[in-house]
Amino acid sequence: MSDQDQDLSQDQPSKDTPAAPLSRRIFLRGTGVVMALPWLDSLPVWGATGDAPKAPSTPPKRFVVQFMGTGINPDHWWAKGAGAEMELSRSLQPLLPYKDKLNVINGLFNKPSTGVGIHPGMTGNILSGMPLTRGAMLHGGISIDQVLAAHLGQETVQPSLVLACEQPLTGYHETNFSMAYSSHISWQSADSPVPTEVYPSLAFDSLFENSGSRRLESILDRVREEASGLRRRISREDRSKLDEYLTSVREVEQRAQRMRGDLGKAANRAKDKGQPLAAMKRPDNGLPEDIRDHMRLMCDIVALAIQTDKTRIATMLMCRDLSGLFYPFLGVRDAHHPASHNDTSDDYERITQHYVSQLAYLAGRLQAMPEGNGTVLDSTCLLWLSNMFSGSRHDNSTLPILTVGGLGGTLETGRVLNYRDKGDENRKLCSLYLSLMDRMGVPLKRFGDADARLIGI
Amino acid sequence: MGRKFSCNLAGWQGAASALALPVLLAWISTLGVATSSTATAAPNPTAAELEKEFARTVRPFMQTYCASCHGSDKPEAQLDLTSYATMSSVVKDFPHWSLVLERISVKQMPPPEMSPQPSAKQREAVMAWIRAVRQFEANRNAGDPGPVLARRLSNAEYDYTIRDLTGVDLRPTREFPVDPANQEGFDNSGESLTLSPALMKKYVQAARSIADNLVLTSTGLEFASHPVLAETDRDKFCIFRIVDFYKRQPTDYADYFLAAWRYKHRAALGTPNATLASVAASSGVSPRYLELVWSTLTAPEPTAGPVDKAGPIARLQVMWNALPAPEGASVDAVRTQCVTMRDWVVALRKKVAWKFDNLKVPRGFSVGGQCFVLWKDRQYASHRRQLYPDALQVGGTPATRVIPARRRGDKTMPEQSITDPADPDLFVPQEEAARASVIKSFSRFCDVFPDAFYIAERGRMFVNESGDKGRLLTAGLHNSMGYFRDDTPLMELMLSDSDRRRLNQLWLDFNMVAYVPERMHLEFFVYERAESGTMTDPEFNFARAEDKDSLSDEKIKRLADLYLAKAKKNGGEPAALQAIEEHFQWVSRTIRATEKARLAAEPVHRKALLDFAGRAYRRPLTASERNELMAFYQSLRQKEHLSAQDAVADTVIRVLMSPSFLFRLDLESPGVPATPPKSPSKMRTVATEPRSVAPPAGAKGVEPLSDYALASRLSYFLWSSMPDKELLAHAAAGDLHRPEVLTAQTRRMLRDPRIRALALEFAGNWLDFRRFEEHNAVDRERFPTFTNDLREAMFEEPVRFLMDEFQENRSVLDLLYAKHTFVNAPLARHYGMTDIAGTVGNDWVRVKNADRYGRGGLMPMAVFLTRNSPGLRTSPVKRGYWVVRRLLGEHIPPPPPNVPELPKDEGALGDRTLRQALERHRENPACSGCHARFDSYGLVFEGYGPTGELRSKDLGGKPVETQAPFPGGESRSGVTGLQEFVREKRQQDFIDTYCRKLLSYSLGRSLQPSDESTLREMQKRLAQGGYRFNSLAETIVTSRQFRNRRPLNRPFTATASVKG
Repeated sequence: MSDQDQDLSQDQPSKDTPAAPLSRRIFLRGTGVVMALPWLDSLPVWGATGDAPKAPSTPPKRFVVQFMGTGINPDHWWAKGAGAEMELSRSLQPLLPYKDKLNVINGLFNKPSTGVGIHPGMTGNILSGMPLTRGAMLHGGISIDQVLAAHLGQETVQPSLVLACEQPLTGYHETNFSMAYSSHISWQSADSPVPTEVYPSLAFDSLFENSGSRRLESILDRVREEASGLRRRISREDRSKLDEYLTSVREVEQRAQRMRGDLGKAANRAKDKGQPLAAMKRPDNGLPEDIRDHMRLMCDIVALAIQTDKTRIATMLMCRDLSGLFYPFLGVRDAHHPASHNDTSDDYERITQHYVSQLAYLAGRLQAMPEGNGTVLDSTCLLWLSNMFSGSRHDNSTLPILTVGGLGGTLETGRVLNYRDKGDENRKLCSLYLSLMDRMGVPLKRFGDADARLIGI
Repeated sequence: MGRKFSCNLAGWQGAASALALPVLLAWISTLGVATSSTATAAPNPTAAELEKEFARTVRPFMQTYCASCHGSDKPEAQLDLTSYATMSSVVKDFPHWSLVLERISVKQMPPPEMSPQPSAKQREAVMAWIRAVRQFEANRNAGDPGPVLARRLSNAEYDYTIRDLTGVDLRPTREFPVDPANQEGFDNSGESLTLSPALMKKYVQAARSIADNLVLTSTGLEFASHPVLAETDRDKFCIFRIVDFYKRQPTDYADYFLAAWRYKHRAALGTPNATLASVAASSGVSPRYLELVWSTLTAPEPTAGPVDKAGPIARLQVMWNALPAPEGASVDAVRTQCVTMRDWVVALRKKVAWKFDNLKVPRGFSVGGQCFVLWKDRQYASHRRQLYPDALQVGGTPATRVIPARRRGDKTMPEQSITDPADPDLFVPQEEAARASVIKSFSRFCDVFPDAFYIAERGRMFVNESGDKGRLLTAGLHNSMGYFRDDTPLMELMLSDSDRRRLNQLWLDFNMVAYVPERMHLEFFVYERAESGTMTDPEFNFARAEDKDSLSDEKIKRLADLYLAKAKKNGGEPAALQAIEEHFQWVSRTIRATEKARLAAEPVHRKALLDFAGRAYRRPLTASERNELMAFYQSLRQKEHLSAQDAVADTVIRVLMSPSFLFRLDLESPGVPATPPKSPSKMRTVATEPRSVAPPAGAKGVEPLSDYALASRLSYFLWSSMPDKELLAHAAAGDLHRPEVLTAQTRRMLRDPRIRALALEFAGNWLDFRRFEEHNAVDRERFPTFTNDLREAMFEEPVRFLMDEFQENRSVLDLLYAKHTFVNAPLARHYGMTDIAGTVGNDWVRVKNADRYGRGGLMPMAVFLTRNSPGLRTSPVKRGYWVVRRLLGEHIPPPPPNVPELPKDEGALGDRTLRQALERHRENPACSGCHARFDSYGLVFEGYGPTGELRSKDLGGKPVETQAPFPGGESRSGVTGLQEFVREKRQQDFIDTYCRKLLSYSLGRSLQPSDESTLREMQKRLAQGGYRFNSLAETIVTSRQFRNRRPLNRPFTATASVKG
């Protein structure tokens, strides 16, 4: 995983002492920088140990959602033309460098979030397309990112990253929906949202400290010792039963260790060949004072996680619906939500552009990472969306949607698509999700309120 | 007893040429046969004699008649009969020799078509020798505990154990691989339960998902029925604990009036010695509150008159005194009047309840903000037992209230005066002295009858008459999270001391677990900034929810000062300013108190972890186990810097992954001192290390199980789960091994609802319906009545039937002959019990005369008839095979591979019936040998279709015939005919099978010859005890095998040393 890791494994010939993972952690904390292998070089280690490194196959496909609450400035949200000729409105200007990798999709809507009252009811199902329940018992549906994580997440350190730049709210809105729906777009089950990670440092640790597997290893260490002690106190015949247990514990333990060891070897190989390692300093504890720093750090973490294949799925709630974020640096005095009630203002245009520029920033990071014959961005789909088109009218009859990245050549880009006049059956957001999941290799019969793919995507 | 068996056997052996001689029966028969019909062996042969006889008779027999197929070269069925050179080698592999005995005795072997054939005398000699060896072994090792291997929990046991350990039925093994069964058909023995890396990974996942449900409370560890990962999960868990507590409280005044009436008329009601407390208990009301209500109803009051003269208490007393005496009215009639009284109280109380307006807030502040909403909550909460004097109408004049001018949007609404409507209920006298007395009565009335005992649900507080629903325990804030506790009347008037403590705990837990005060304060920032705009001035910029120190006293104080200053500047009135001050004091106080409580809970959690581990290991922890667990926890906290929640969760996972939890090890005496601890009621950790050598054993080859091991053996036998508190208390007291204690505990456990596991895991596997819930062989288009509900009901019927057998200690013969069964509505409809189906819904009821509908006992249960039908036809073969194999215990070899298939649909049989097709099949001698043993047992069920429905015609439209010839040439018809036949000829086989299966299940191993005497004892006591189930269970649990184990490191094969 990191070259420190590899050095350490030389210092530690045996994994029998629980001290090893501990000191590794301290080491990591001490330097504060983690260097990780890009996906391509770590690839051979995913195969069976000892085999000759496999020829690099196609890079994995990745899916990232960025969400902005309470809509955009409708006056400055348009695009014309295609490819290099594409013209972009003011709010979309940050995406100019990525025009050929961009799709501007207008006219889609999420029917179950319409006609139920404003705000939370328009948000909690934006990624699931399932109706939400009012009152004390939360109930909606599993979101697309968690469906993908359930199918694809076993192969990476984290099945998915679910990040937010604003803490969740859980009170009641006047519509009698819980405001948890305003704060959570990623749902692990119909009854329960995925807790969001707000702290960059903890998000970083979840990827690079691999604490889940290390914690498991120390548990297995203990039970293995216990079983060995027990072994002396039981009959010969019983020992054969306990040996089954010991063998099984060792097997599970070794699998985790082997992966770490192989990662170390791969890192060495890469270093020998002079290949670059992705590097990032561990973010400080606590939250950055400036929301701009916060958002940028979260994008950096997602970029690194994706590049080094620590996860393939990420959801970023850049701000909540009913957001309370402030933008003194944009010269806006109102908080986000009150500002959205004036959504055709210049103030709100600057806010909108700020969020589009987060997408552009992340796209730029991925674009700068070579992978195979292209860049990491080429095998990724960044999906950007909001829960309304107009915040002043609380209008979600269509939604502003952007995608960046070609998803390994499966998603045609450089287009402006408009579904506004295609009829309600043919402009479902969940149809887009079905189409994207197909391309991710997770074909479903139906999802949310849709059982048909989006035509023309 | 012996005589009885002999008689039975004599009758039985007459039929032996046509029927199987079950292995078990053959074993028992040795008693009679070995002494009477062998010429070659002495009555009680010695080992040397048997060895000699083996060389002289048996080996040559095998060489001559068996070796051509069962020789050393590619032996049939992998059985090389020439490989046994001595009697001890036979003994080691006795199960095979039991089969040899069975096949020879029914003349299946050597195959009739082979030659040469042994003479009857030769056959008899070999059979007698095998029986004699068995008898020899049985006597020599009688009561040998046998090889009970260390065994991991089966999937079923794992699920039940987790249920009893965590208190929630999580069933984590749903995605585990299915456990294999042992030779007796049970999945609870070390013989068959193996552990693989794949299963280990499942254990890891299961332990993690269990730990996901963990909640750290002020009193210990609890497990929710759902994962508790997100804030909303924690809220849900805590809220429902409190709301459920509230809902359990008896707060209906009518119940108290009725209880008071019962007490008043206790003599007439036949309970002259009743006390208020005893009446409260039997009425299910609070004794505390009943006392208050009673004294209120009976206290001397001014003479009753119109309410404006006498007050509400006197009025209530008039109504109460007017309740009729028991002689004159039914309780229901009295109750109706009590309900009228209650409605009167509630209606009047509502009229004199306090009402509060929103505070007038400073400019730029919102009435929906925390300071002002919580102020309003506090006003209501503190006035629930007080009179609202303004509501009273002095001298009949209603009050007039002034509503100040207010601005709403762009409109200013002018000041208004509103006069209440005149209401005689609220009249109080003009004259001062009289008024004082009436107001006193009103005050007392309000004090005794609060306007609410608790508030479980609250809409937005600053809106009049909000229609918000389902906001449990909320404070009524606007677009913001917040909870408020309002239950003072319940606490003061109704709850016992322990309930009050409990409720306080629940609220403390809510704050601790869900971080309520902390989150409320953080949401304060959000609301005051983004919603009300109060905190948009730059001087508030320091206060950010995201900052870690935003909850420090320092920052709270700084914010309070700024906020208050702004309120003053913007014209805040004293009440509003005071509300603000009080609010911030409350915030600081509550956050600090919760922090402190969380800190104080850590040692509680550590102790709870040890307790959890002890229960998970089903024995006290040793000192080193205890230290190791605590060291692990501390290293997670201090070195790994995990949160208390994560550290406890990892320790719980570590315990659930421990071999001491996953395995049943029957350790000799782990951590148990040689003498029992003095305090029997608690599991104790013992300082001494376990001895590495077994304590001196009593009998040769036997070592008593520790009382803890015995507790587990008992609970896994009867409940498939861990021992409960009471069992462990007996283990701690060291008296569980005493037969009278064992017997008493067994009886208690049989009555417990957990006995369901015995019905499911023992009988379900024995009778082969354990997996019926997944049965999918029924063509639902042809049988549209076969719904999931019906399938579930079919599965449930034997479970209910058997639980009733166990819990009510009924006769084991009921399984065969009972006239009753159990049904719910779907099953009753299926059985044509239309009169019952209409009345029971989804409840299960016992049907006494089920035989009127062709049901009763196990045999005609739809679950077995359906399970043994291939779909579109019945299968007399499978049904008959089920009866003789499962109920009567016969061993029948599988059919040869080239058997012709019967059509899948009985409608496709052409002119023939299924019966005729079978008859033709039996004409083939290769088939008739087996089919003769069971076809008839199945043909009698032809009156039941493929889903067990009654029928008179088969699917081909031909009338069904339920007659069948039985051995001995008799013909029997239908289930009743079969029941008669079994009663006359085969009942003993059923009893043998039942005993054998139950003993094997209880011991967690296959049976061996040395179990023979226990089986005989079981049968003896069964017959003496009127065939009641308890006698079986009690014989087993007090048997030598059950209470002992083979000593540590004793060679596995107890008989390998037989030399002669």
